[in-house]
Amino acid sequence: MTQTPTLVEKDRMDERAKRFKSPTFNLQLAVIFILAVAPFIIPSFTFMDVMAKIMIFAVVVASFDLLLGYTGILNFAHGMFFGVGAYSVALILYYSKSPGWHHILLAAVISLVISIVLSLVISFFSLRVKAIFFAMLTLALAEFAHILAVQWTSLTGGEDGISFVLPGIFNFSWSGPTFFGTQMNGRLMVYYLILVCAVFLFAGLVRFVRSPLGRVLKSIRENEQRTVALGFKTFGYQIYAIVFSAAISSLSGILFAMWICYVNPDSVFHTAIMVNILLMVLIGGMGTLYGAMIGAAFLIVTETWLPSILKAGASFAPDVAIIQNLSDRWQLYFGILFVLVVMFFPKGVIGTIRAMLGQKK
Amino acid sequence: MNTSSTLALKNETKTVNFKKYLLRGCIAGLFLLPLVWMDLQTYLTLMVAGLSLGMLIFLIASGLTLIFGLMDVLNLAHAAFFAFGAYAGYSILNLLNPLGWVETGSFLQSIISLGLALLVAALVGGILGFITEKLVIKKVYGDHLMQILVTVGVSFVIVEILKIIWGVNDEVVPMPMGFSGSSIVFGVFIEHFRVVAIVIGLMVYAGLQLILKKTKIGIIVRAGVENQEIVQATGYNISLIFTLIFAAGAALAAVGGTMMGIFNQAVDPYMGDQFLIFALIVVIIGGMGSVTGSFVGAIIVGLAFNYFAYLAPKLALGVNFMIMAIILLIRPKGLFGKD
Repeated sequence: MTQTPTLVEKDRMDERAKRFKSPTFNLQLAVIFILAVAPFIIPSFTFMDVMAKIMIFAVVVASFDLLLGYTGILNFAHGMFFGVGAYSVALILYYSKSPGWHHILLAAVISLVISIVLSLVISFFSLRVKAIFFAMLTLALAEFAHILAVQWTSLTGGEDGISFVLPGIFNFSWSGPTFFGTQMNGRLMVYYLILVCAVFLFAGLVRFVRSPLGRVLKSIRENEQRTVALGFKTFGYQIYAIVFSAAISSLSGILFAMWICYVNPDSVFHTAIMVNILLMVLIGGMGTLYGAMIGAAFLIVTETWLPSILKAGASFAPDVAIIQNLSDRWQLYFGILFVLVVMFFPKGVIGTIRAMLGQKK
Repeated sequence: MNTSSTLALKNETKTVNFKKYLLRGCIAGLFLLPLVWMDLQTYLTLMVAGLSLGMLIFLIASGLTLIFGLMDVLNLAHAAFFAFGAYAGYSILNLLNPLGWVETGSFLQSIISLGLALLVAALVGGILGFITEKLVIKKVYGDHLMQILVTVGVSFVIVEILKIIWGVNDEVVPMPMGFSGSSIVFGVFIEHFRVVAIVIGLMVYAGLQLILKKTKIGIIVRAGVENQEIVQATGYNISLIFTLIFAAGAALAAVGGTMMGIFNQAVDPYMGDQFLIFALIVVIIGGMGSVTGSFVGAIIVGLAFNYFAYLAPKLALGVNFMIMAIILLIRPKGLFGKD
């Protein structure tokens, strides 16, 4: 007995059939390949640093996009969950006498538990009223976390932060010959760990969005009342999304801390990070997931090289104080860009491309 | 049949009323709770401190709640207006200081210099709010998400401009001579400037109530909170009123910033961020759109912060979160919010 597939089933079968043949899949493979060989092509530490940060932030931003773009919920505590992950691995490695593999796993478990419990509590208190409450509550909570990290000096070291040593394979140094000019050392191992984790987390996010659950989330974004009328408990689905994205954010916080080997309140808890994440989502395009990569790449590349470019530009007029000041405050341009993107370019890069492709059809 | 149903309705209203008074009584009674862990004099001292902190929070929260209530805009750039106002007031006091009007001089001169600083801060904040509303907020009416995003961006830009003008470092703010120092009344330690803060907060509250209740523009604003389309249909230029309210809210935040700068005798570019938490908690507790709500909420938050800071300084902010959570559980729309 064969049943005719429903519309949704047909859609999924189509997707499954062309999963490994589509140009996007080849593009994905190409990106992974480029990231994997990047440290050997350009053997410079700044370059590797930029690549690693792009990967980490692509995951953070994509998990934020899962909330903002797919459910329309604005979670200002997303940066806080990132910080929770970073601080948990930093504290555990710092206070353990002989750090080992299991400590990193322990940090992952602890940060997952904290972020899941916290996000459940927040969503329970605020979501049942109004989405805007959620934004306000999470903003207040994120500020609170920053203050806590600064003031709880006996645990977190306050403003000075914590620097720690990574265990085992992540901390060896080899004085042997170099491969294509790249030293084999712990940093390179961390780089590959980040690559593997980022690919898995990103794939998990894409899978989450493509699942039946993800479809419900999209329908909540489009029309919440209609989704309720169709018989979905939207409250529960929103909580799934919040918890999932918070968990991913805290895991990428761990990766970030392992890459920098140092955390302080301003580097992981400050609102400026949240503003950066927002800007990355907006540039890439809300509700696209892959936009996260473009947004992260654009912002981190400009963040790394824009100050020196501005400095070089300002050196033509060394005596004019205002120009010197304007070149120092490169974040001002990010702020202006942010406002302009929100107002005039709300679809972002990927969103605009998709709209253009859609028009051609 | 008819009478019995009326009676039942009456009884119901009675129980609702009774519940309301019980709730209010409980909340008022809770403020005596700190006496368990401190003596009366400390309690009163902290009460003055808490009330003054509450009034400073009220200055920033009232603008936030008015803007939200009338325009349905959650303005996250409020913290930036606060900081900008603080720096503007600081500049005025710094200008007047060499003339001998601030840290020296008579009581009258102190009042004039404080008044001037507040006035200029309010003007600067108002102009900033006016420009922001005209340039940015006007484009994103009706879309909460866009508004939040755009105001976050604006706040970033304003803080950066602030850094370009005044530099990134903390600055020391001179305190007007007439308000510095403290005195002990019946064993209660009172800093003079805290009294000034309370007086100014009460004045602003009274002024806002007067304007909202007695003047024509207040009536239009209150009507706009209820239903802006009908106000528009009756022929009032609601978009102009929106701009004015936004500018007024920004001016209030700027005045709060100057007061806070003098109070701490220091300003820094990120001073608004910490205060925005208080303001958000207050607006949530008091109910969005209600000035009285944010007045009561600010007093609750200010007092609770000081009492618990005496007990455990680092947990004080957490206690405010607890209060907010409890109130949200009992009344999801806040104390004075409309259902």
